[in-house]
Amino acid sequence: MKWLYNLFESSKPHFEKRGKLAFFKPLFEAIEFIFFYPPARTVTGPHVRDPLDIKRYMTIVIVALLPSICASIYFFGPRILLMILVSYAVGGLVEVLFACIRKTEIHEGFFVTGILFPLILPPATPLWVVAVGVFFGVFFGKEVFGGTGHNIFNPALVGRLFVTIAFPTILTTGWTAPGAWRGAADAVSQATPMALAKTQAVFTPVADLLIGIPSGSAGETFRLGIIIGGIFLMLTRVSNWRVPISYLASVFVMAFVIGLFGGIPSAGESAAPSGFAAAFNFGLFNLLGGSVLFGAMFMACDPVTSPFTVPGKFIFGIGCGVLTVLIRVFSGYVEGVMFSIVIMNAFTPLIDHIVLSMRYRGAEAS
Amino acid sequence: MNLKELFGKKGAKTVKNGIWREHPISSATLGICSALAISNKVENAIAMSAGVIFVLILTAIIISLLRKIIPSRVRIIIYMITIAAGVTIVDLVLKAYFPIISEAMGPYVPLIITNCIIMGRAEAFFVQNPTKLSLLDALANGLAYGYTLMAIAIFREIFAFGTLLGVRVTPAGWVDWVVLAAPAGAFFVLGTFLWVTRTLAGVEPPKKS
Repeated sequence: MKWLYNLFESSKPHFEKRGKLAFFKPLFEAIEFIFFYPPARTVTGPHVRDPLDIKRYMTIVIVALLPSICASIYFFGPRILLMILVSYAVGGLVEVLFACIRKTEIHEGFFVTGILFPLILPPATPLWVVAVGVFFGVFFGKEVFGGTGHNIFNPALVGRLFVTIAFPTILTTGWTAPGAWRGAADAVSQATPMALAKTQAVFTPVADLLIGIPSGSAGETFRLGIIIGGIFLMLTRVSNWRVPISYLASVFVMAFVIGLFGGIPSAGESAAPSGFAAAFNFGLFNLLGGSVLFGAMFMACDPVTSPFTVPGKFIFGIGCGVLTVLIRVFSGYVEGVMFSIVIMNAFTPLIDHIVLSMRYRGAEAS
Repeated sequence: MNLKELFGKKGAKTVKNGIWREHPISSATLGICSALAISNKVENAIAMSAGVIFVLILTAIIISLLRKIIPSRVRIIIYMITIAAGVTIVDLVLKAYFPIISEAMGPYVPLIITNCIIMGRAEAFFVQNPTKLSLLDALANGLAYGYTLMAIAIFREIFAFGTLLGVRVTPAGWVDWVVLAAPAGAFFVLGTFLWVTRTLAGVEPPKKS
């Protein structure tokens, strides 16, 4: 490692204030930081020693995503790798450019956005759509607000939302059947479980959903892996358990209640199934179908865009869950996870404000 | 070409302010509604900016000529009447000679009356300055409005419809960006435009009070 260290040390002067490459200083520092711990030390107190900085934080999220990433490559082929590559390249470019112009550090937050974005797209999404989406998400979702830690909305979801409304046909027809890439046919498209349930009242069995037999967004099909990754995140305290658990619970309860009152879609002439058991199954299907699990475990609990107060986290999760089911059952859209999280993101500052002002009402008056 | 030789010292300053430094859209954020609504196609943008420039010039001439005899208590009503007369002319001309464009622009032609740029310039400039300067100011502001609209419209028409002035310019297999055809999509384009021009012109954001 000695020669590598010397290489960094010898090229450092070029990136200092008067150097020729001063514009690219953030890029140089980011690359150096990958290999060596920065020599900077805090001069004054408090001297907090904690190994969990942003970089480790983000690394843990990526470790938790590994089952989903591997499963998506197994189901949908090496295409997914290409999508991830494009997402990292384009998004990273925007990130580096902004860091250079603003003369700030390059934050590792992008590593998570860059991997989440391809995982929530339909597996057959063209690569240029991936590029446009991730550019838009990082640019308008994050950098415009001031970069990592200042964004109001989840950048990956902003990108997904933009490509959904910009290219509706591409984003609603790219559902490749899992495993189809190994067959002779180029790509076999297959309706998602949520679409089947809404239009034909066909409910995919729970066991199929768990191991990822039906189609869906690249990263959302292998539900077992998402659950394992989500629990890992909660155990390591990287994600706070309150948001995902209240989200998932409220989805189940909401769907169960709607099911009890006869809101289950039915096929053609036959009467809608009703009763306690049917409602329970409808709740379970809503909990596991679509992208609720992925959204709750990896996107809603983003510490930047969800409330920081404890009651706020519950309110946020319940709001997401209720909105998701409402959009699924009553709107023209098949899936409501993306919309519900973005809508609740917008309410996050308000929720925190109300919670804080209620808690400190007495203190303010005195 | 030197602006000072052309218009004199005061005139050059007026033109510069109108076109760039005190740009009506990016600096004063006036006339945003029509910039969002009418900038989906280049031909609409041309018609709209021509209409606004015409009304601006008409208002500039009439208000600056009458500036000494307009009682200050009723000046706003006088502006309104002048602007409304100009807008009616534009509306009828469009209906008679360009019915398709008139149809496409719908209520936005009569709504030129409420375009804050015209009202704002009348109150801020025409009523205090001689006719020659007012004319220059009207032209500069109208051009600034026009080129902004055109810039946004060119971007939006290419991306949202794949055409420019109705002629296909994009390669085969082009997928339209549906979102940019809607006014909501114009917010992104206009926002970026404001950001870039404000940074270049050095406009300071309003201080927090």
